This record gives sequence, structure tokens and C-alpha cells, in this order.
Amino acid sequence: MSLPLLIILVPIVFAFMGFALDLGRLYLVRGELNQAANSAAIAAAQQLIGTDASLGNATTSADQVLAANTYNFGSIQIGASSGNLTSTINAPAYYAAVADAAQGSSTQADGATARHVTISLTADAPLLFWSLLPGGESRKTPIAAQAVAGVSAPLCSVCGVEPFAVQARDPSDTVNFGFGDPLGGQVFTFAYSCTGNPAPGPLAGTGIVVPYLILNRYDASNATADETQQLFRSGAAGVPASTGVNPTGSSVPLGCFAINDSVEVVWASAAPAACATRAVQSSVAAALCGMYSRFDTATQPNACVTSVTDFANLSASFAPDTDTTSGLADLYANYSGTGKRVITVAIVDTLAGNTLQTMTILGFRQFLVEPNSDGSFPDPGDLNGRFPVQYIGSPMPVKQGYVDDRFALACPAGQVGSGPGKVVLHQ
Amino acid sequence: MSRRRFQSGNMVLEAALWIPVMLLLIVGMIQFGRITYTYYALKKAVYAAARYVATQESVNFCPDSGDTAIQSAIQFAITGTPDGSGAASIANLTPDMFQVTTQCLDPTGVLTACDTSGCGAAAGARRPDFIVVSIPAGYPVQPRIPFITLDPIQLRPSVTVPFGGAT
Repeated sequence: MSLPLLIILVPIVFAFMGFALDLGRLYLVRGELNQAANSAAIAAAQQLIGTDASLGNATTSADQVLAANTYNFGSIQIGASSGNLTSTINAPAYYAAVADAAQGSSTQADGATARHVTISLTADAPLLFWSLLPGGESRKTPIAAQAVAGVSAPLCSVCGVEPFAVQARDPSDTVNFGFGDPLGGQVFTFAYSCTGNPAPGPLAGTGIVVPYLILNRYDASNATADETQQLFRSGAAGVPASTGVNPTGSSVPLGCFAINDSVEVVWASAAPAACATRAVQSSVAAALCGMYSRFDTATQPNACVTSVTDFANLSASFAPDTDTTSGLADLYANYSGTGKRVITVAIVDTLAGNTLQTMTILGFRQFLVEPNSDGSFPDPGDLNGRFPVQYIGSPMPVKQGYVDDRFALACPAGQVGSGPGKVVLHQ
Repeated sequence: MSRRRFQSGNMVLEAALWIPVMLLLIVGMIQFGRITYTYYALKKAVYAAARYVATQESVNFCPDSGDTAIQSAIQFAITGTPDGSGAASIANLTPDMFQVTTQCLDPTGVLTACDTSGCGAAAGARRPDFIVVSIPAGYPVQPRIPFITLDPIQLRPSVTVPFGGAT
């Protein structure tokens, strides 16, 4: 090898070697950033519940995920700086339509309408060999990552929601089932369904009484929680998922509810009583105690201590909502909590009068559980199982569910007009 | 003639000087690439496990619960099949290397390990806000460079994803 050839070849060989090394590392960094962006987008989308405060909550959540993830062989925290390497998290962008999110449209949505979020971030990747070449003097190069997540189309079946059912006030109204404008602050009194007269009266501050029932999701195979504890858990955080058999005999899993499921029955120990006796079954109180834990876990209402096994310990393991004060006079948009007070309720054709009648689920809608008009929390010992709610439509994504007609109940896949969705990663 | 022989001797000497250096560079580059590739593959694996767990229902997050969903997630990360029937994509990566932990937001918004005091009772572990999957002891990669013995490098990827499932 002659000297001139060597002089020409060595820089070229070195440059190619450096190219290979640095390119490999750039791909690694890009992969790490993409994973972090995906996680952050999902976390942010979970917070999009249609309130004014939801955008702030979503941004906080995204930042928490990004700060918990690292890049460059896990050595640099995203959002932090290390030496001359900096990483920048751009402000998340919120959109009402997924097409706008994908295109990066300039018109962003406000808290009430935001359904999709774009997370984008830029981080410097270190350059080892390129820094010897012109253009790489800064010894780093910026790498961008982007992710879009949002709320899916309305679901055919929802999982992990509260086992409450109300009758459609107007079955011909497929959007709101006669509950009025979801943004209008329509308040109702939910009262446990009873037979005969006199019908329970409304709570102060509300005009209309809507009877409800608890759908049967008793998990006989659950070894750790007895029936009262299962009811508490369902009222506190939705029906727990289980591999147990659905007691209704439906093909739908025990933890889920599906549109067009026509074999739903009332929870056996919570059958409607005669209205005249003014005494709901203690099973109803157990579920309402779970609901109460969304407001307060410090005090122990008497009705709960008697109707729920080991109430004190159970209650302590649930955290109350961060906003327990927004009341009947406030619109849902002004609710600043994390969605813990939102319950997803099955809308059925006709409420069953006894444990034998079956009900068909028409859809799912959400209600915000409200404190009483005097600011006190709904009493789990109410003799008619009453609590005040505000109709909010279906702004909050549920934990789990299926868009398709998975359980062969003739649900038009992707054609459910309105209802809650779930969080999905778009890209 | 004598000048030519001198030149050829010079070339041999040059080559003897250059070849080890070039060899070291090339081998080092290959080893660096191997480590980068392995790290990326591991990172993908822990992310796959975390996302798998994060979309499950009815996961028991109590310590040492041996929950089947978590075991399936780890098998999925290693083999691409939840039952572990597929071929492992990374050699010597075993399920016991993985650690799946949960993190919860406390009322002030600070991330801490989830409260597991309800384990064994009706309450169970708290529903986590985040799933953290890591390889705490590290996956060892031995850099193979001729005539040089190096300690294995422990790769410790970790990923935090939001929990989106039901418990």
C-alpha cells in the first residue's frame, strides 16, 4: 500500500466506520424517544375527560411519563439536560378530530372537545465520529419523536364500569336517551328502583327522579372478596375484571357489559323492594358505600360499617376524587377532578321489577355523581338509595372495552352512534 | 534492487503496525454495534412486556403474586408468544431477569411505589397508575476483543408506561 493511497483511504474508512456507529446509536435514541412519546400520549389521552381542567391534567400526566423514561442507553432523562445534550418536550397539542391530530392542524381543541393528543419531543443525540467531520462540530444532532393517541370510536362493550342500569327516558333519542343536553348541566336524583307507590321524591336541588338497578355481576369464584365487598368495589371503581363465569349466562365476560346484551338481570340480593317500605336491600347500601369512597375515605358512615365486611380497610385502599366540591349548580366543564366521580351507566329498555325479568342494554352514558345541594356527600344509608347526578353524555374514555362485535350480539361494529370510547394509540 | 527490497520490508513493518490498530477498531466497532443492537432489542422487550401488562384486565399486582398475566407478558417479550412457545429472540434472556413493578400517584401528584398493604385481603393491591418493567440485575453482554479481556457490560433498560387496564 502506497502512502498516498493510505492517506486518502484512512479518512474514508474512518468516516464510514463513524457513520455506522453513529447511525446505530441514532436509531437506538429514536426508538427510545418513540417509546417514551407513545407512553406519554397514552397517559395524556387517559386524562381527556371533557372538562376545562382536563388539558392541564393531561399535560401533567404526559410530563410525568416522559420524566420517568430515559434515552441514550437509558442515561439521560427526557426533558432534562446532560452536558451539552438537551431535550425539549413541546407542549402537547389537543385536537377534537383524529385527522387534525395526524396533520398537525393549527386549530387546537379546548378542554371540552379535546379527544386526541399529539406529543412531540426533540432530544439531542451524541455524535462520536461525525463530530470529526464538517457539520458535526457541535458533537450532537437533534432527533424528534412524535406520537398521537386519543379516544376511540364508541364501544360495543365496555369493561370495568359501574354495574348500574337506568331506563332510557326516551328510547327514540339515540344520542342522549332523553336525558337532555350533556353540556346543559341536567341534574337528576338516582333512586333505587322500587315497586308500587309512593315513588321516592327527588333530593334537594334536583327535579326528576330516575330509578336505577344494580346489574348482576356477582363473582362466586372470588375467594378474597365476599358479596358485600364486591358490591363496594363495583361502586368504588367499577366491576373488577374476573375470569369467573358471568352470572347472567351471557357470553360477555364478567367484568364487561355489551350493547344488545338481552339477558341482563338485577343483582339477586338487590332486587327492588316495595316502595312503601322505604328500605333498600343492604346490598344497595354496600354499592353506595363504594360510591361514597369517591368523595371521602376518612369517615365511616354507620350504614357502611354494617353492610360491608371489613369496611374500614377496604375503604382506605381507595383514594377519593381530587374535586369533591363542584356541585349541582356547576357545569361538568368546571369539574376539576380526575374523573373518579364519573360513573358509566348502562341504559336499558325497561327496568326489571324482579330478579327474573331480563333487560336489554341499549347503550352506555356517563353521569357525574354530585354532592348534595348543601355540600354534604350523598348518604349511603339513604332509605331509597338516592344520590344526585348530573348527565354529562359520554366524554370520559372507559378503562377497557371492545369496538368490534366480539361477543356476537349483533352490535354494529364501528357504527355505534355515540357512547364512551377507550384510549388508543393512533401512530 | 536493494532499494526495492528496502521498500518491501518497510511495507511489512507498516502493515505489522497498522493491522492490529485497524483490527482493534473494526472489532471494537462491531462490538459497539452488537451492544447497541442488544440494548435496543432489550428495550423493545421491556416495552412489549409493559404494554402487555398495561392492557390486561384482572392483574394481581401484589408482590410475588406470580400473576399469570405478568408471566405471559414476560414470555411475550422474550418469545413473542404469551405461552412461551416461540423461539427466544434474545439469547440467554430469561423470565427471572425481568422485574415488573407498579407506581401510583399520591394525592400530591408525586410518583411512589403503589400501596400493597391491601394484598391478601379483599382490597388487593391498589390500581396502579404506571407499570415499570426493568431488568434490574442487568443483561450481560461480553465484548469480544482479541487479546483483551473485558468485564461483561450489564445492560439495564427500563420503561415506564401508563396503566390502561382494569384490575
